[in-house]
Amino acid sequence: MAVKLETRLWWCWLSGLLLIVTLTFGLGTTAYGAGRTKIVFWHEMTGPAQAQLMTDAKAFNASQSKYEVVPEFEGSYNEAVQKILHTHGTSAAPALFQSMDVSTAQLYHANVATPVQKFIDADHYDVSQISSVARAFYSQNGKQISMPFNTSQPVLYYNASLLKRLGIKAPPVNPTYSDITRVAKAITAKSNGKVKGLTVEVYGWLFEQFMANGNTVMANQNNGRSGYPTTVDFTSTATQKAMAWIRENIQAKDFIDFGAGSQAESNEIAAFLAGKLGMFVQSSAYISQLLAGTKDQLGITYYPHADGTKANGVSIGGASLWIANSQPKNVQQGAWQFIKYVMTPQAQAAWQKATGYLALNQKSQHQAILKQLYAKQPVAKVPSEQLAAATANPANSGIFMEGLLQERTLTQTAMATIYNGGNITSALKTAETSMNQYLANNNRANQYTNH
Amino acid sequence: MQQSLSGKAKTRPLTPANVTVGRRRWSERGYALLFLGPSLALLAVFIFWPMLKTLYMSFFLTDKFGHITVFNGLGNYRSLLQDASYWASLGATLSYVAVVAVLTIVLGLILAVAAQQQLKGIGFFKTLFSSTMGISVSVAAIFWLFAFNPSVGVFAQLSQALHLPEINWLADPHFALLAIIITTVWMNLGFTFLILFGALQQVPRSLYDAADVAGVAKRTQFLKVTLPMISPTLFFVTTVTLIDAFKSFGLIDLMTAGGPSNATNLLVYRVYQDAFLNGSYAQASTESVVLTLLIAVVTLVQFKLFGKRVTY
Amino acid sequence: MTPIQPVVAHENKRRFKLIGRYTLLVGLGLIVIGPFILGLWTSLLPTAAISKGALWGKLSFDNYVTAITTTPILRYLLNSFVIAMVTTISQLLFCSMSAYAFVFLKFKYQRPLFALFLVTMMLPFEAEVIPNFATVRALGLLNHYAVMIVPFLTTAFGTFMLRQNFLQMPKELKEAADVEGLSHWQFYWRMTLPYAKISLLTLAAYSFLSSWNQYLWPMLTTFSDQFRPVQDGLRQLQGQETFNNWGMIQASAAIVVIPTLIVLLIGQHYFKAGLNEGAVK
Repeated sequence: MAVKLETRLWWCWLSGLLLIVTLTFGLGTTAYGAGRTKIVFWHEMTGPAQAQLMTDAKAFNASQSKYEVVPEFEGSYNEAVQKILHTHGTSAAPALFQSMDVSTAQLYHANVATPVQKFIDADHYDVSQISSVARAFYSQNGKQISMPFNTSQPVLYYNASLLKRLGIKAPPVNPTYSDITRVAKAITAKSNGKVKGLTVEVYGWLFEQFMANGNTVMANQNNGRSGYPTTVDFTSTATQKAMAWIRENIQAKDFIDFGAGSQAESNEIAAFLAGKLGMFVQSSAYISQLLAGTKDQLGITYYPHADGTKANGVSIGGASLWIANSQPKNVQQGAWQFIKYVMTPQAQAAWQKATGYLALNQKSQHQAILKQLYAKQPVAKVPSEQLAAATANPANSGIFMEGLLQERTLTQTAMATIYNGGNITSALKTAETSMNQYLANNNRANQYTNH
Repeated sequence: MQQSLSGKAKTRPLTPANVTVGRRRWSERGYALLFLGPSLALLAVFIFWPMLKTLYMSFFLTDKFGHITVFNGLGNYRSLLQDASYWASLGATLSYVAVVAVLTIVLGLILAVAAQQQLKGIGFFKTLFSSTMGISVSVAAIFWLFAFNPSVGVFAQLSQALHLPEINWLADPHFALLAIIITTVWMNLGFTFLILFGALQQVPRSLYDAADVAGVAKRTQFLKVTLPMISPTLFFVTTVTLIDAFKSFGLIDLMTAGGPSNATNLLVYRVYQDAFLNGSYAQASTESVVLTLLIAVVTLVQFKLFGKRVTY
Repeated sequence: MTPIQPVVAHENKRRFKLIGRYTLLVGLGLIVIGPFILGLWTSLLPTAAISKGALWGKLSFDNYVTAITTTPILRYLLNSFVIAMVTTISQLLFCSMSAYAFVFLKFKYQRPLFALFLVTMMLPFEAEVIPNFATVRALGLLNHYAVMIVPFLTTAFGTFMLRQNFLQMPKELKEAADVEGLSHWQFYWRMTLPYAKISLLTLAAYSFLSSWNQYLWPMLTTFSDQFRPVQDGLRQLQGQETFNNWGMIQASAAIVVIPTLIVLLIGQHYFKAGLNEGAVK
């Protein structure tokens, strides 16, 4: 009797468990288009850039029958980096991924990708057609680690029609801080406070650009190009001047603070398009969205620089494409084919028109699509001109350092503190101390030493 | 199955009495294993083991994959305690938790008392009051993000219309936490109302009748009769609200991402940020240990302070 | 009987009081559902109007059509439904089984084990995500329904709640069952579960809602829309919308909230009764 009952109990229990297991695992499995090799592609593009990326993926899938690129949106750049590291080697890992500029050193040291140089060499791919400045950002020891993809420059946007209506002279194309302050104050004064003059997002990338434009290196070891950085400098004259400039505008009440993060960017663009904000500095990648969103004439200048100094030029921002080394050969090959596809002159020209990211294939400039764009919207040329005007040096070629996310969090905290009335030097010093401590810890934890 | 479960019983001397007793006892142990085993195993894998692992990790440094590399002793704890921004997070968390708990209970109680009235259509209001229970964190965040939006939000438009100073709710460190608090309390209201309403209904009418006869004022009745009678429920709701508030994550992620100036960088969000955005797993583990201790202490203190005074 | 005049005065006073009471209720009701109404209302407005700060415009379901046709919102809903259903069923099973063990079985270390369960309730899952991530990664569960179900197959809270309920079962029932020769399994299945029906329903509603509202864990462990549950789906949609398409976002939020509201309205009665039982004892 007891035996029978217990057996029955076990049986019930096991079948219940089995049911749960089947439900749990069974429901998630779906068959994919047979015959094609699936190339899972993780990206972090939003808005029009995402739409254009989808178009590219569809066109690529239609252009051949061997591979199927499956794009998956993975949230913010920051999230994606950790996801890439976490999933490396698991079945959830992508074959191709887009990763932000500042993660380059980290991913390089993590050894999660096959350098695209390998495919360039095997294919005898003509890499010289791709912008050399952008390529240099993602190279180490003369080897191409990843393929530069969405590339932008920080610029200053202004509402040209609004300035005209208010009778304010537009800022020069390469403005100083005081040029911008003058315009910002005038906007707020002449609109009776209805329009705010200026905003600078609480964004570490912009903080870095103030240093680059002021020809100041943030990390030692030549911004990490000659070794593992051990200290950073946040309290330089360049950053102090930039923060003092923002403070001046805040005190003049012509400045509006939207905070940090994608929410802040959405809000500042919404305000700009609604005619409630006159100027803001932001990535050139927003250009098409801004052109499409308002009937007002858009104005663009170079990134502002400190009075009495020459602009050193800003570095690029954006992300590059990496091929995961944990995937089988044919999958990696498929990823490479897709990279080649998105780097063609046509695809790059369409990309710039749709997104505002710069076309990296130099032949793109001769494509009809871009010529038409420049004829219709001459301002669309400004970001590429800014890039061309700068000579590359360690200060404006990006920072090859791990922990840049930490750096951005810290500098953003400092910026927010300053925006809300905190002491400039002490806020920057606090961030600097934390960052140096972080670097010491990180170098120890990863057992990095400079020789 | 039976064989393996009662295998040990065979080594006992087989007297008739022993067989029946032994059988029953062993099969009882088998049942216990069967009934309790699955839950115990799951909790061990997903709660106990991770807790120990987290504690262990907090004494080491980790590399970018989260692998343990160098022993760091109490170094992680030391740097945590020296980090002014961590103290700020801690302070923000404590004030958030306290304000959320108080507001939730007070407002929930007001709603519950209001819904006690014997009026036509009261059922409709009860449904309204409990409706936020069905609203999940992302939906709440979307509704309130819109309300708090500095250019098109309702609050901005209201203050503009009334010529009040404009508050940039989510970007101003003085108000961002308040914005999160308002949203949290709003989300909590439905659940709290439902529970407190039920508790109020269970207070016997005869107690009020007796108080009426004795000429006790309504307000005094509330303090002397109602509150003591519903104190077990109040205790339950407070505990749940407190612990939930400590674990707040979604609203912060969606509305402020811990900013501005870390004003809303509450403890759980910080753990997430350090581990899953910055890749500092050891530091995040250290923060997890502190968070766990904090929740445990608050719960225990609550049980000690109020557990005894509760009227049953 | 009382004279006529005072009755009228009394009536008037009563009426004023009544109006006052209703005003209070309506006021409180508006505060509670205000944000919700605002969200629903804007979901019907064209985004162009919303981004100009207007709260008035041509009402239409365009935003809903856009949300359904251009975003995977329905897939997210399905994912959440599958995950929440399986989680709920398994929690009912495992929690009731462990609760039964604590109430009706006698075994070694029963008290310390129960204490262990109680301690679990104090340990926040949020503080343990790092090792848990490593575990599910090692188990190969990443980016799958399983990763959002397996760690939550049972809860200490559910066990505790059902134990409290089982304890209330009349002793005679068990004694009678023993006389009848019912095994533990039979007693559990035929007597205990039916007896605890209300508590089980409450636990089901609670489990379903907690699973439905999961946010942090799915965000860390899912990487494709194929498995992403609705909370994180909304986060995705919101993150992708750089153009501030408020109308569409509000419509997606409404699509998500309406089913849960319906479930709640229907299940409210049971939920209330059961939760109070759990709360008071």
